[in-house]
Amino acid sequence: MRVLAFASRSLFRQPGRTALGILGIAAVGALLFDMLLLSRGLVVSFRDLLDSIGFDVRVTATDSPLPGGVRLDNASEAAAQLARLPELREVVPMRTATGEALRGERAVATVGLTGMDPGARRPWTIVAGQDLDGATTPPALVINQTLMDALGTSLGTTISMRVSCSANRAAPVAVPFTLVGIAQFPFDDEAQSTGVMTRSALRSACGDGADDADMLMVSSAGGSAAALAAIRRARPDLVPVTNEQIVARMQTQGFTYFRQISAVLSTITLIFGFLLITVLLTVSVNQRLGEIAALRALGFSARRAAADVFVQGALLVAIGGVLALPVGYALSLWLDRILKAMPGIPTSMHFFVFEPRALLTHAALLIATAVLASAYPMWLVARLPIATTLRNEVVG
Amino acid sequence: MTPLIEARTLGKVFPMGGGPVHALRDISLQMCAGEYLTIRGPSGCGKSTLLHILGCVDTPTSGSLLFDSRDVGSLADAERSEIRLRSIGFVFQRFFLLPMLTAAENVDVPQAEAGVPKADRRRRTMELLEYVGLAHRADHRPSQLSGGEAQRVAIARALANRPRLLLADEPTGELDRANGEHIAELLDRVQSDGTAVVVVTHDGALAERAPRRLLMRDGRIEQEEFRR
Repeated sequence: MRVLAFASRSLFRQPGRTALGILGIAAVGALLFDMLLLSRGLVVSFRDLLDSIGFDVRVTATDSPLPGGVRLDNASEAAAQLARLPELREVVPMRTATGEALRGERAVATVGLTGMDPGARRPWTIVAGQDLDGATTPPALVINQTLMDALGTSLGTTISMRVSCSANRAAPVAVPFTLVGIAQFPFDDEAQSTGVMTRSALRSACGDGADDADMLMVSSAGGSAAALAAIRRARPDLVPVTNEQIVARMQTQGFTYFRQISAVLSTITLIFGFLLITVLLTVSVNQRLGEIAALRALGFSARRAAADVFVQGALLVAIGGVLALPVGYALSLWLDRILKAMPGIPTSMHFFVFEPRALLTHAALLIATAVLASAYPMWLVARLPIATTLRNEVVG
Repeated sequence: MTPLIEARTLGKVFPMGGGPVHALRDISLQMCAGEYLTIRGPSGCGKSTLLHILGCVDTPTSGSLLFDSRDVGSLADAERSEIRLRSIGFVFQRFFLLPMLTAAENVDVPQAEAGVPKADRRRRTMELLEYVGLAHRADHRPSQLSGGEAQRVAIARALANRPRLLLADEPTGELDRANGEHIAELLDRVQSDGTAVVVVTHDGALAERAPRRLLMRDGRIEQEEFRR
């Protein structure tokens, strides 16, 4: 009888205890799996979100966080200059503002507004109606479903909005817009009202006439690194950042808490797993001391007897670890829904994101735990004094 | 003839709280292949300690043991395990059959450990179960066997790798008279088939069956008898 078969028969001779042990390891493994998904979930999700928009470099006037920093002047000229660089495929200036959507004289929603001329790619997806154009009068406005629901109107109607582009400006006057479409915006959260119009429309609504932008959205032609270098050469006064750099910045700043929480909880779950396996195996060994001593007397080497214990530990962890995956995945979906209910979290972002590396790390950590947890009971078996144990068993 | 076992002035001291306990004192003994030896004596006289040292599961504090001319004291633990696996069979008072395995699987375990091919193991296992009269119980678990049957399976297991020496520690200690008699007859047969047998027992009738008998007291061989 080979080592695996022998260990599995030894393990399942106490089916109740073994089943409880496996369930315990499955629970610990599920939590560990979730913590691994959480540790990089936001980063991966945020990167996917940035990449999904189609722009891989953003250019600002300073290195302050995006958006909301110092605006870039003469944005049209800067965009035109950069668009001529062969490393860049498309450059689109983008300006943000805040608006108050009105029904009659009454404000019904605060709206996050974007002024952006739609090019080959745009950070929104039309789900009803049509996209922006420069010909519609009053100017075209595309909004999200949340704002549409708040307004309680239909496409093609005209609505009024007070647009505020600067804190220094006096109370803005209401400006009419034509609702032309409904779109999904990737950074929207559940309750956010969002709208987008052309940059010239936003400039008019702001009433300042300034050709400025929060940033230039850039799509590179030959990779973001080359685009970055080209922009730096052409306009050393501007600050280009790639999606990777933004993600890296978020990783060391905004998402650190989740990584830390994940690390702490992972460590705790591993300690629980370690203790659980150690206790199970040690109890099992102590109950079978006479039997183990007899096997040693019959010629089992210390290494072989210890291997039996190790394989039992490995079997517990392997079965529990495999069970942990579907449990952990289901749990992660549930936890993700809870966390995404927090205000300000874009609906298309996720806290728990599956990556193959999480699976590998999960397996590696559980294997390491099994090895460490088996060490003490293996040592007990390997050092078992055969004659004394046999004598004690008879006396006992 | 070269002795199978040669014990030279064996001593064994157990360090205990109340001072060292001398379990064996100056035991010298030779045993040849195929011999049958029983050891008797009161509890605590050192019988089982001597058996354990002869079976290479314990080491003497002083003196030396040669097994098949090899100095056991100079061997590593793994080498002693190898000797036990291939050359020595153990029978215990409490059988120590593995409860999760059938009778046949219990007999199979030492053979598998010795690397015997599966087909040969199966053949040998059935041969041994027939030898101990339990072929019809091959698929039964120890919990389904009587004490006598369990001890017969344990003897079959001890013989699995064709050992040159069979050691039995109180093999009838947990059996009634009839089952004890069966086991005694089985041990006679094992010895007559060429395996050296050493039995530690309190059972006078069992001890008397051996041609060579030791009586131990206070860690020493007090008396050695040979049947004429």
